[in-house]
Amino acid sequence: MTGPRVALQKLRLHLRPRLQTHGATPALPGGLPSGPPRVSRSLLPLTLALAVAYAALAGGLAYWQVVQAQALTADPLNPLSLAAARSAPRGTIYDANGIVLASNVRGPNGERLRQYSYTIAAPVIGYSSATFGTAALERAYDAQLTGLVSLNPGDELLRKFRGQPYDPSDLHLSLDIQLQRVAADLLGDQTGAIVAIEPATGRILALVSSPTYNPNRVVDPNDGRQYMAGLQARDDSPLLDRATQGLYVPGSVFKIVTSIAALGSGAITPQTTYPDQPAELQTGFLVDGFRIHDFPRTVQTDHPLDYAEALEVSSNIWFAHAGLDTGAQNLTDWAARLGFGARIPFDLPTSPSQVTGGNGSLDGFQDRVELANAAYGQGEVLVTPLQMALVASTIADNGALMRPSLVDSLTASDGSVTRLEPQTWLQVCSFETAQIIRSAMQQAVEGEFAVAAAAKVPGVPTAGKSGTAQVGPNVAPHSWFIGYAPADAPRIAVAVIVENGGLGSQRAVPIGGRLMSAYLGVLR
Amino acid sequence: MSALDPNERRLTRALYRAGIRPHFRWRELRLLLVVAICLTVGWVSLESFRQGQIAIGDAALLAVYLVALGVIHVAFVVTGRRMDQILFPTAGLLAGISLLVMNRLPQNLVVQQVGGMELPLGPLQLVWILLGFSLLAAIAIFVRSDGWLRRYKYTWAAAGIALLLLVFVFGSVVGGARLTLHIGPFSGQPSELLKVILVVFLAGYLAENRALLSSGTTRVGTFTLPPLPYLLPMLAMWGIALAIVIVQRDLGAALLYFLVFLGLLYVATRRAMYVLYGIILFLVGGALLYVLFTHVQDRINIWIDPFADPQGAGYQVIRALYAFGRGGILGTGLGAGLPSVGDVPSIPAIHTDFVFAAIAEEMGMLGALAVLGLYLVIAERGFRIAAAAADDFRALLATGLTLVIVVQAAIIAGGNLRVLPLTGVTLPFISYGGSSLLVNGAVIGLLLALSDRGVEAPPPGVRPNAVVRAAQRARAVGGRIEEALS
Repeated sequence: MTGPRVALQKLRLHLRPRLQTHGATPALPGGLPSGPPRVSRSLLPLTLALAVAYAALAGGLAYWQVVQAQALTADPLNPLSLAAARSAPRGTIYDANGIVLASNVRGPNGERLRQYSYTIAAPVIGYSSATFGTAALERAYDAQLTGLVSLNPGDELLRKFRGQPYDPSDLHLSLDIQLQRVAADLLGDQTGAIVAIEPATGRILALVSSPTYNPNRVVDPNDGRQYMAGLQARDDSPLLDRATQGLYVPGSVFKIVTSIAALGSGAITPQTTYPDQPAELQTGFLVDGFRIHDFPRTVQTDHPLDYAEALEVSSNIWFAHAGLDTGAQNLTDWAARLGFGARIPFDLPTSPSQVTGGNGSLDGFQDRVELANAAYGQGEVLVTPLQMALVASTIADNGALMRPSLVDSLTASDGSVTRLEPQTWLQVCSFETAQIIRSAMQQAVEGEFAVAAAAKVPGVPTAGKSGTAQVGPNVAPHSWFIGYAPADAPRIAVAVIVENGGLGSQRAVPIGGRLMSAYLGVLR
Repeated sequence: MSALDPNERRLTRALYRAGIRPHFRWRELRLLLVVAICLTVGWVSLESFRQGQIAIGDAALLAVYLVALGVIHVAFVVTGRRMDQILFPTAGLLAGISLLVMNRLPQNLVVQQVGGMELPLGPLQLVWILLGFSLLAAIAIFVRSDGWLRRYKYTWAAAGIALLLLVFVFGSVVGGARLTLHIGPFSGQPSELLKVILVVFLAGYLAENRALLSSGTTRVGTFTLPPLPYLLPMLAMWGIALAIVIVQRDLGAALLYFLVFLGLLYVATRRAMYVLYGIILFLVGGALLYVLFTHVQDRINIWIDPFADPQGAGYQVIRALYAFGRGGILGTGLGAGLPSVGDVPSIPAIHTDFVFAAIAEEMGMLGALAVLGLYLVIAERGFRIAAAAADDFRALLATGLTLVIVVQAAIIAGGNLRVLPLTGVTLPFISYGGSSLLVNGAVIGLLLALSDRGVEAPPPGVRPNAVVRAAQRARAVGGRIEEALS
């Protein structure tokens, strides 16, 4: 007999004696009297129904009080965080080399205020203000900085027995404030963004968004509201983190994504050539009535280009062919393996990048024209600088995409350290595919006809890809670069965009080169 | 208790000489001692947290409450009824927890003038608990016959519908729902009373007709339906529930009535198909209401995603979830939670609709589970009384009364926990509120009276005094109404 059945039987036996003693119609020998069944016999199923209902309630309690407890406590809207913010100092935030980025001071009326040592780190650190709440890392790690959530889940049970219930943690970031300074200076007052990652770990080394704001003025109790209102009124959106939330047309830097899809799906090999391509350089490549041209400056060769040569000179025609051969479905699927189409799991809020608007009949694309254009980063392709930095990082790390992270470790007040270990987020493509693209990207910087030659780090093998993204008839194109160095053992991968900066090779590429040089300690 | 110990024998003899036939209730007394210890520990815990050292503070409220429990126990013993001994301590613990919580919440949530005295939340709740328990004791001791409930079921139904209409017409709107009835200086929520009247009527009706109802005769296609005339009550119930939702905007009461009705219908007929039809009717009605009424849509939308509007519609529910999260497994401890930020309660209606969240925050998941367990104890005792009842009416009445408490607790706890959409009903014996405490006290009192199978009719041979004569006259009037109605 099974367990529940035995239990039922027992419960029945339990009830029976009373039924027989006090029943209105005593049971006749040889069977029950005719008529409806006894009322009391229906009580058992009713009891079971109640038991199920109450079990559901117990399940609800366990869900909210155990499973979700930490997440609810850490929610920035939870009034507990306000109460904790009043009673406890906030943890300090340090950069990778132990330089203080955010600390506490006393305001003019004796209240606790946050002080930010480097305003260039504003897009990463954000602010913590009594008036405006929290933003960026100050928001993502609010519970740890205020000490609402212990690093150690077992501690949670014992918290109420401690004198000081809040235990603020310090944050140690992967961000290198000196590199951040270099990157911010390279952008200057140009509008744009820079992301630098360590490919093997996904650690963010620098993340710049320009223009930005001064968080010290946001948290200022006297001047904050006025300053914030001024920021919100500005046309150039200084509060927007362009690196993680700005969506841009990528242009030719997207050819790396097309390469991964085309090589990964087997649509092309490194030896693939398109016989019509040299002729189409003059006439344009006609796709369903739409002509695709290469830039006039693209070097004329007498033979059809292979893959590495096409990437070196950045041939739109070649990649349009490759994109059409790869197909809409493959291109979307392989892009999704790089994180396109969904929010990137990150400490800061991110916008999802897209290959297409997604409502067309050709697997989301409107038609073959859109697909051919998307293959070289036009059409409906929109990306965040962070996403493109991850593309470069994936190739640099031989096809593995590490989860991007800003925080290396947290330190509790008792000195205990919790390290956040690097995690592989997605396995994007095979080692072989990555090797093919790696050598092509190195050729795109170091080759004879390389468009991205200005990214070369002196004395260090360098790989990269430039991009010039057309955004409208009378507007200067976005200037892009993605790349990594050293090409044989990458230590840094970067994405650079200068909004309406003109040709990629003239603006973004040299910025990328200088940034990588600075990080690798090479002067130029 | 087979062998009386010498002390007990001596005590019994003394009482017999005074004309009293006691029936000792040692189990109840032991359980009440446990209740007293629990509540005292809770009180000390709360006061110690407030004062930062071990303290009991001003424990007058607690002392009054514990003495009242003792007095009721002695009254039960002295009047010699052979009633269930577990129900009363269970209700006593629930109401005691209520006293602790109300005493702990910000006292200015409710302040009422009583005879020139300003009573804040804690003392006010104690007054209501004492009144409710007095009613409980009075019913448990003095109700010796169920004839007045059994015989006049249609009169009760008529009274219930009249009450409902009264609220429809004269009820005042509080918080978007037309629930409260003001008569002179008194105000109350008739829906609480209505649930008992409903159970009495249903028990009478189903006990009389269950033989016919359970022999399905009408066949429509493959469906077996009860004889059509007997289907009407189900449709009538459905209609009443819909009307309550539409006119009173009281989703909680409608849900409670309908679930209790389905439960009783099942117990009476033992036909799962009827319950299925009932659920289908319920879903159809629910869908209709959802399409037609924005307040129903709001409730459902908040339930599905409260975070869509965290500062507006979803505020209350989200704040309750935060409270659950803060509580964790062991709770913050009494007094250490966050029921208010500054002077603003962190959850609106924390003393009524969301008292379960307040308990779960400070007493943790274990405390909340214990409270749920107490309602299941009530269910077990109530169903045991039903199973042992002498006839169908008493069995159905006991079942219905039990369901009224246990299902209502599940509805509001489920609403707090986002297991169900939130509907505003009270958590029996714990939420602040006079109507609720009085009616739930009466319900437990009736269950206790039903559990005494020893006495059926009032003792004969006594010259009818004025009270008895008045009761006889009332019974005659009731009989005439009953005839006219049936």
